[in-house]
Amino acid sequence: MTRAIGASSLYVSLAVTVAALLLVTFGARRAQAGWLRAGYAATYLQFGLMTAATFAMIFGLVAHDFSIDYVAQVGSRATPLYYTVISLWGALEGSILFWGWVLALLTALVVFWNRSREGNLIPYTTATMLGVGIFFQFLLVSPAFPFGAVSPVPPDGPGPNPLLQNHWLMGIHPPLLYLGYVGMTVPFAFAMGAMASGEVGDGSWIRLSRRWTLGAWAFLTAAIIAGMWWSYEVLGWGGYWAWDPVENASFMPWLTATAFLHSVMVQERRGLLKLWNLNLVVATFALTILGTFLTRSGVLSSVHAFTEGLIGYYFLVAIAITLLASFVLVAGNSERLVSFGKLEGVASRGTVFLFNNLLLTAFTFTVLVGTLFPLFAEAVRGEKVSVGEPFFNRMTIPICAALLFLMGVGPALPWKEADRATLRRKLLGPIIAAGVTLVASVGAGVRSPYAALAFAFAAFAFVANIGEFVEGARARMRLRGESAVDALGHLLAANRRRYGGYVAHLGVVAVAVAITASSTFRAEHEATLKKGESMTVGGLQVRLDEVWGREEPQRSVIGTTVTILKGGREVARLDPRMNFYPTSQQPVPTPAVRSRPSGDIYLNLQAFAQDGTNATLRVIVEPLVPWIWAGGMIICLGAMISIAPFGRRVPAAVVEAEPPMAAPAPVAAT
Amino acid sequence: MVSSVGLVFSLAAPGLLGGDLAAQDAAAPRVAAGDSALERRTREVASGLRCPVCQGLSIADSPSELALEMKGLVREQLAAGKTPDQIRAYFIGKYGEWVLLEPKAEGLNLLVYVLPLTLVVGGALFVIRYVRANSEKRNS
Repeated sequence: MTRAIGASSLYVSLAVTVAALLLVTFGARRAQAGWLRAGYAATYLQFGLMTAATFAMIFGLVAHDFSIDYVAQVGSRATPLYYTVISLWGALEGSILFWGWVLALLTALVVFWNRSREGNLIPYTTATMLGVGIFFQFLLVSPAFPFGAVSPVPPDGPGPNPLLQNHWLMGIHPPLLYLGYVGMTVPFAFAMGAMASGEVGDGSWIRLSRRWTLGAWAFLTAAIIAGMWWSYEVLGWGGYWAWDPVENASFMPWLTATAFLHSVMVQERRGLLKLWNLNLVVATFALTILGTFLTRSGVLSSVHAFTEGLIGYYFLVAIAITLLASFVLVAGNSERLVSFGKLEGVASRGTVFLFNNLLLTAFTFTVLVGTLFPLFAEAVRGEKVSVGEPFFNRMTIPICAALLFLMGVGPALPWKEADRATLRRKLLGPIIAAGVTLVASVGAGVRSPYAALAFAFAAFAFVANIGEFVEGARARMRLRGESAVDALGHLLAANRRRYGGYVAHLGVVAVAVAITASSTFRAEHEATLKKGESMTVGGLQVRLDEVWGREEPQRSVIGTTVTILKGGREVARLDPRMNFYPTSQQPVPTPAVRSRPSGDIYLNLQAFAQDGTNATLRVIVEPLVPWIWAGGMIICLGAMISIAPFGRRVPAAVVEAEPPMAAPAPVAAT
Repeated sequence: MVSSVGLVFSLAAPGLLGGDLAAQDAAAPRVAAGDSALERRTREVASGLRCPVCQGLSIADSPSELALEMKGLVREQLAAGKTPDQIRAYFIGKYGEWVLLEPKAEGLNLLVYVLPLTLVVGGALFVIRYVRANSEKRNS
């Protein structure tokens, strides 16, 4: 029954989506308001149908309905409820179903919020989203059909991939990633809609899609950080980023979207870069599809390549169609994409944005070349090569350092040509901070020039961005007599977009410092200990107390109890484990982490004696790691401040109405 | 606290590039310092070698059994006085060039280094020209 509901919802949804696309497109072309309305109604209907299909699947999973082949593939009676629900994205078919559902939701929302806008921009934007939706729904009824029948119905299933049921973050990272990926469809659809309707010249598509882009970008940011966290907590190697092809696949659209968020300001202010911005939006969308191709086709080995098969090549076709369609539309709009404006100065913020875009593009290109090169080399030379962490670090760390530097310069420079006095006022503080940090890091024994430079540039960017808050708040305090807290609050409220951006910059500084510190000052030791024995890692004594075993419904656990002492005093008791799942030969490492703002102590159980007399432990001491996660949250907070729809400008009347003297006594201003 | 811990550790390991292990051992006291020096050298070599059973992790990072064995081999060979290049050549002989996480900068592999650099340099020239041509006010 569940299977029938799910399957028929998918088939009907595909038909409805095709109908909606036709109605919307021809309704717009022939100016038939009735067709258009019907098309929008069909868009809501396809969302309802996709919702029905998705809920049917969740219901099937929870009810252990093994007559559905997806459930038989990833379900098991012993799996805890949480992991049963999230196995919706535990394999290919469910992932595509979830993707299709999110896409249907966003399509319906785009229609709902913009349907009354005049002109053909919204119909063609909707049509683009429906077109992408048809692609995914086609996958769902054909190569990735999740509701196939199983006969005879098995009594139980194998459960999800062990890696996907070992940590709660698996319930967070994938949906965030899909929201980010699918969200990038919206600015792409607006760009295509703008070109198809001939309304691309005035850049209204950028205003209409701005919040969508920022929202998708925030989700993608959160997804990448959550993915790093998952990798850190589950893979047992004490790292968080390995330049795995799939990590790269999620990072590339993030880079191009970041470039777009910046370059779009040049278009809004000066009418420049119209074509370039379209390119970035199309590239971002194409890269999300490319990422899916890379992970789903199995052409590259990766921790995420859970399935292999022909389905990947459908994505290749989708990329080709995307690029072709955007090329045709760009060519048809060439005269509307001519830029007439000029930058306001050489030493100006506009110039910094251009270099920011150059670096982010070069970054994307480097990651793309590095990710695809093994395929190319094998095809040409017939020998496999690896392009891994040492390569990416060598090539991209200089780019990261330069970006950190620009992140400080950009906010400090005005749009107009900066004069010497402005440069001195804005940059002296950051330069001094950078100099002091450089000397201090070298003095503290940082021997890698890049690490020292990263710390220095991080200090530079930090002081420059904080300086913007301080300067703005001071001006308000002086002119309006506001208290420091009020001034800061009003400053943010009056310029959400700008200061939200600076908050995001501060988050990036936190991530950059944490990554540099945790890799530079990492201390690590591995030893086999008998019960009661200790090893010493950088001042910490690590004592093995116990090796134990435990049976859980869905797995067997071998664990250790370890006490960490510092100067004879107990600091923490940790239990690094190995989880054995029946479907996997290899145990899933389950490290134990003791986290403090100053850093982590990371313990992984590497091996154990069958008789429980000894165990091999790896101890890694990594400073500042939690600041990577915190920094990610700060970045998302910045994005949310920029998105917030309410009170974009504090009305002047309200600000004036506040009696200056009624403000609370100034809290220590500096 | 923790960063000073890391600091002590990194200070304890002198620069070892190309150094001969026997000499290092003689110079350093045999206890902790000598061990962490060897450990550091092992990590340096191991982090460039790919774990054959993992997904793109180096044998320095991977917790898998095979990686642990390979890392042990690197440690032994370093202790026996082999140079990092000799050790890498040994693993290439066994697993092919694939085992190197960073492709050797020669032949076709040069592309993977040259392409991004070309974009950076070409792009920088383009942006500079663009800014010059599209600014209201020009600096001399």
